[in-house]
Amino acid sequence: MALPTILVDDEKCHDPLSCRKCLLVCPTRVLGLGTSVGPEKFKQIDPAFFVVRGVRFQFCTGCDKCVEVCPTHAIQISFDGGKVA
Amino acid sequence: MCVWCERYSQGHERWYLNPANYARRLYKVRKEEVESAGAEANPQAAGGMATVGRDYIEAMQANDHETVERLRTAAEQRSWAVHFGQVVTIEEIHQILEIIYPISLITCACRRSMRGLPDEENFTCVGMGPGMYKWERWPETYRGGVHFLTPDEGKEVIDVLNRRGLVHCMYTFGTPYLGGICNCDYPDCAGIRTAQDLGVKTLWKGHYVADVDSDRCNGCALCARRCQFDALSFSPSTQMAYIDPLKCFGCGLCRNVCKPNAIAMVERASLPAVAEVW
Ligand code: SF4
Ligand code: SF4
Ligand code: SF4
Ligand code: SF4
Repeated sequence: MALPTILVDDEKCHDPLSCRKCLLVCPTRVLGLGTSVGPEKFKQIDPAFFVVRGVRFQFCTGCDKCVEVCPTHAIQISFDGGKVA
Repeated sequence: MCVWCERYSQGHERWYLNPANYARRLYKVRKEEVESAGAEANPQAAGGMATVGRDYIEAMQANDHETVERLRTAAEQRSWAVHFGQVVTIEEIHQILEIIYPISLITCACRRSMRGLPDEENFTCVGMGPGMYKWERWPETYRGGVHFLTPDEGKEVIDVLNRRGLVHCMYTFGTPYLGGICNCDYPDCAGIRTAQDLGVKTLWKGHYVADVDSDRCNGCALCARRCQFDALSFSPSTQMAYIDPLKCFGCGLCRNVCKPNAIAMVERASLPAVAEVW
């Protein structure tokens, strides 16, 4: 089974907590919000530092719905680097 | 026997019914502990650095059992020391609501992370202890703040969440200190997801196992949509609910919708095959 690489350009994805289009469209609920600042007190739960990541990337089918729904073209999905078990 | 009861029940029936395990300032857990505590404690963890990383999933796919075992053990040791959960039934939650103070309804970090839920739609977690006054004082910092509840109001809220189909779990914040009643579902909640997808026991099964009485089951299938653990299916051949006791987490959600009372919650300890399956 191939594992995908999910790349999100954080510069293009502003305020993902209000947008969240990719989170909602994904049929296997792969995407989630993390934070770019690590476990720094208070900042870690500040939406200003939220980023989109492939939290459950192993369930990505490569359907590209998230890529298509993203208004700023921030998401790239590739299966090239995926291992075959 | 449940190792947490063995260590921390101090004569009480369960470790989470021992008031001493609630007597600590919530979130006294230090930064470095939080960092390794997993996705619920640290949103960064939810964003790709969960209890285990990509190497774990690659090892799983490559059937590299040795690596999987090593990473799993390390992740479980970290989680159990700092932040892990155990499934409890609604009756037990009602008991717990009588011993904790203050009872505080707060927003859920997991659903904020996985659904991007706005705060006003996201009040599904219960925190307790004096640490909750910080959440009241700095609502921006603590994402939506807190609603304080009486025990009766707490029970009403829990009953609504139970009807919605959410699993009640007790979570430690610096084991054995219990700081939260999480109301969880798969796959948005990091605890269930980590246990089910990755086999890392950040969430322990509860003290009960559901058991179907075939004389009583009328085949209505209402229970079939309730299980978050892949333990319950509806059997086409018998037209009855079928529960796998090895997979059952003992949440009782299926039982709670069964009109003819065909599902009983049996003590895990009474079934030798699953007594030590946590
Ligand atoms: S490609 Fe499809 S399955 Fe993969 S993350 Fe995007 S929406 Fe989800
Ligand atoms: S759809 Fe695009 S802009 Fe919106 S949250 Fe997802 S990655 Fe960010
Ligand atoms: S809800 Fe009860 S009666 Fe209906 S199928 Fe399930 S076990 Fe049987
Ligand atoms: S079978 Fe019933 S009690 Fe067991 S985990 Fe599923 S819903 Fe919960």
